[in-house]
Amino acid sequence: MTLLSRRHFLAAAATTLIVPRSWAGGWSAVEAEAKGQTVYFNAWAGSETINAYIAWAGGELNARFGVTLNHVKITDAAEVVRRVRDEVKAGQQEGSVDLVWINGENFRAMKADHLLFGPFAQNLPNFQLVDVEGKPTTRIDFAESVDGLEAPWGMAQLTFFGDGAKIGRPPLSMAALADFAKANSGRVSYPAPPDFHGTTFIKQVLVETAGDGGMFARPIAAGTFAEAARPAFDFLDRLHPHLWRGGKQFQQSQAQLKQMLADGELLMALTFNPNEPANLVASGELPATTIAWQHEKGTIGNTHFVAIPINARTKAAAQVVANFLLSAEAQARKADLKVWGDPTVLAVAKLLPDEAKLFNSATAPGGVRYPGPAIPEPHASFVPLIEAAWLQRYGA
Amino acid sequence: MRRGLAKPATLGALFLLWALPLAASLIAFMTVVADVEAWRAMLQHPQLSGALLLSIWIATAGLACALTMSLVIMMGIYGTPLWRRFQAFTGAALALPHLAFAIGFGFLIMPSGLLARILAGGELPPQWVTTQDPLGLSLIACLALKETPFLLAILWSLLARGDVAAAFTGQWRSARSLGHGTASAWLRVLLPQILPRLAGPIIIVWVYGATVVDMALVIGPTQPPPLAVIAWADLNHADAAINARGMAAAAVLTLVLAVIAACVWVGITLMQRAFKVLMSIGPSPLAVTKAPAVFLCSVLFAAYLLVAVMLVVVSLSGHWPYPELFPDRLQLEAWHHLWREPAPLFLSLLLALATSGLAIGLAVLCLEVTGNRFDRFLMAAAVLCLGLPALVIAGGQYRLFLAIGLTATLPGLWLAHFTAVFAYVFIVLKGPYRAFDPRWQSVANGLNSGKLRFWLQLKAPFLKAPLLMAVAIGFSVSMVQFVPAQLMAAGRFATLPMEAVTLASGGNRALTASYALALTLAPALVFLAAFLFSRPRWRQPWI
Repeated sequence: MTLLSRRHFLAAAATTLIVPRSWAGGWSAVEAEAKGQTVYFNAWAGSETINAYIAWAGGELNARFGVTLNHVKITDAAEVVRRVRDEVKAGQQEGSVDLVWINGENFRAMKADHLLFGPFAQNLPNFQLVDVEGKPTTRIDFAESVDGLEAPWGMAQLTFFGDGAKIGRPPLSMAALADFAKANSGRVSYPAPPDFHGTTFIKQVLVETAGDGGMFARPIAAGTFAEAARPAFDFLDRLHPHLWRGGKQFQQSQAQLKQMLADGELLMALTFNPNEPANLVASGELPATTIAWQHEKGTIGNTHFVAIPINARTKAAAQVVANFLLSAEAQARKADLKVWGDPTVLAVAKLLPDEAKLFNSATAPGGVRYPGPAIPEPHASFVPLIEAAWLQRYGA
Repeated sequence: MRRGLAKPATLGALFLLWALPLAASLIAFMTVVADVEAWRAMLQHPQLSGALLLSIWIATAGLACALTMSLVIMMGIYGTPLWRRFQAFTGAALALPHLAFAIGFGFLIMPSGLLARILAGGELPPQWVTTQDPLGLSLIACLALKETPFLLAILWSLLARGDVAAAFTGQWRSARSLGHGTASAWLRVLLPQILPRLAGPIIIVWVYGATVVDMALVIGPTQPPPLAVIAWADLNHADAAINARGMAAAAVLTLVLAVIAACVWVGITLMQRAFKVLMSIGPSPLAVTKAPAVFLCSVLFAAYLLVAVMLVVVSLSGHWPYPELFPDRLQLEAWHHLWREPAPLFLSLLLALATSGLAIGLAVLCLEVTGNRFDRFLMAAAVLCLGLPALVIAGGQYRLFLAIGLTATLPGLWLAHFTAVFAYVFIVLKGPYRAFDPRWQSVANGLNSGKLRFWLQLKAPFLKAPLLMAVAIGFSVSMVQFVPAQLMAAGRFATLPMEAVTLASGGNRALTASYALALTLAPALVFLAAFLFSRPRWRQPWI
């Protein structure tokens, strides 16, 4: 409690130049209004570690701010987009969603249809701690400007993993991956797009095989895409015969891929959470010899966020939750491999020393052994074109 | 006077509780289906023709296998002690949800599954093409094994009826004395009476096979997948235009199924004469041999036993690397999770009791107060309700409930479960109920017995088996409703399948298996009770 209020004071003092004056008073009014409110937080619930973390946050929020956090367990954020859209269309002012875990395509859909409350994110006191310069994806979500309509929550970067005892030095580029697949025929695969892990894999191929990296930041037309994507699809044509089932069948989800790695059917899998492999080692689902790696020249990275729908009933409490999730304490706990292992969005250098100390940088079995830089997501207009082209070529 | 009120009251309740929500979804479906752009997008989908053919092939092959297996079993062992004993197994098998069976079956046959560990061994799993095979053979096997107990249970509830058993025994004896062998007596005398009453369940099995999504996602082919999987993925998309394409895909599938069903019906009608000729040839000494039936019973029993054992072991396992035959260590973690949060289990049980109870009451009232013509209409509506993707039906309902403020309420949640439960209960009950010999009614009328008294003292005891079977099926259907529950609960309530599906999306096998088993337990008890209480009161001799 003291830690938080001291930081509020310091942050307020340090940032009076960029933050409107009314802000400090405004925030305590938000906290006062939030007291006693219930937040229905719609968040993917496929992971026990994540569910446990959200339950912990709920306990803290209740004790410190009198906010009740109710985790609505969902399988896919697109569900929530549809629900909010239907509710707003039906004129429902008091919606069923107060806060949603979101990014990318779903965010773009909600933003385009004016289904989001805000801008609110930059008014959260803890937003000052976010590493907006070092982690540009906290401002630009899949090449879509965030505009304060969602508050950053965690970082993600395409990461590959497998059993180090079986594969030795892992392939650190797409070209090396093709050689690896050739040498281990039938033991490599990726989920079929439009699963977002699968789409990301294709984006990674696109980025690594393209000559001009500049085109990815801009919208692309269908005509230019065919030309730009030719090297990527040539590469996939050469890769597929060496994949699982000769590249004729694919997994539908990353969860299946991960399971087949654990079963030994595949030699490697991929994830968006660089710490997931370590987490899986800790939970006993993968052996301790597991290693994780990213490509030398970098892999696709992005940020995941929380957003408040325009018809949320408890917007004040939802902001209090978003702010708490950005606190050094909550972020450090989330980044802890033993808890969840989701990388922080904060700039650890901006934190007070005893806050920075919370971030335990110890490595664990399954951690990223070969790190690479993060490459921003290509513009969102690439996604439907990638999905359609992939389906046309490999779908039937 | 009371009779005059019963009909409007029943129809009113049927309209309000079932037909109106269903009609709302159909109207919502139609408006989207009228979207030209959606059709264009669907017709341009590169996987359309392959996926459609696959859906029809999987459904038809699955039905053919299940029907053949259940008829061979019935003809081989009806009237023997095994027939009676096998019904207890059938109940347990029915209680196991389709998805749970597919998961357990997958654990057996996949390249890193138990069979491969036993048969192939080696450092790495063999590169078998078992699950996700391009022709969907593993999915067909799964459907055949899962639907055979369903058809057997329907046959059992039909044959366990005192009046039917008595009539069949007489006919059987006549055929035998006229020189017909056992097989000939079945084919020429009994099957022609049984099969028409099995039409509803046969349609359910076929439509289910063509529209199933969850099983197909677990072990079905992927490139292309069955059409229902494409529709499901599109309907779940964040983009409204792609949702519309998914609606069009669902419409294509429904339309093709309806056209095929109509063709088959016309074909059967046209071939009546040919059938008659076939029926009147004889007598033939052809006899049924018991061996294939006993063999199929053992195959079914072994498959379910292995699947159940597999699910139990997996629910207790942590890391279980290939080629170990047993997990490193057993742990109760997954089951603890269920203990910690028992509320979803209780809510699911409550909903299942309330929906199946009301569904059976309403179905009986409908059958009592309306005639054959209304049956046909209701049957078509019920089949449509089961044939369209759950997301289409529940999605339309959701919009209606949203407008009248029923979402996120218990009555709304209950109504959403009721839609599918009533459809199943009606389809299962209609055949046996309508086959009740009307002469009993004439006798009762002659004796000046009251209608209610007649029903309670004569009709209900005669129809005990199909009534209890319908309740049990309704109960199990309610227990596994996921899509309507998820939509209508709007995050305010959690049921057991909602918990199971969200947890399964992370791919934790132990959790998935433990929830699959939890979903099985309550329906298994209900089925068991249904079988115990539906033992016929009359002991009929059977040659």
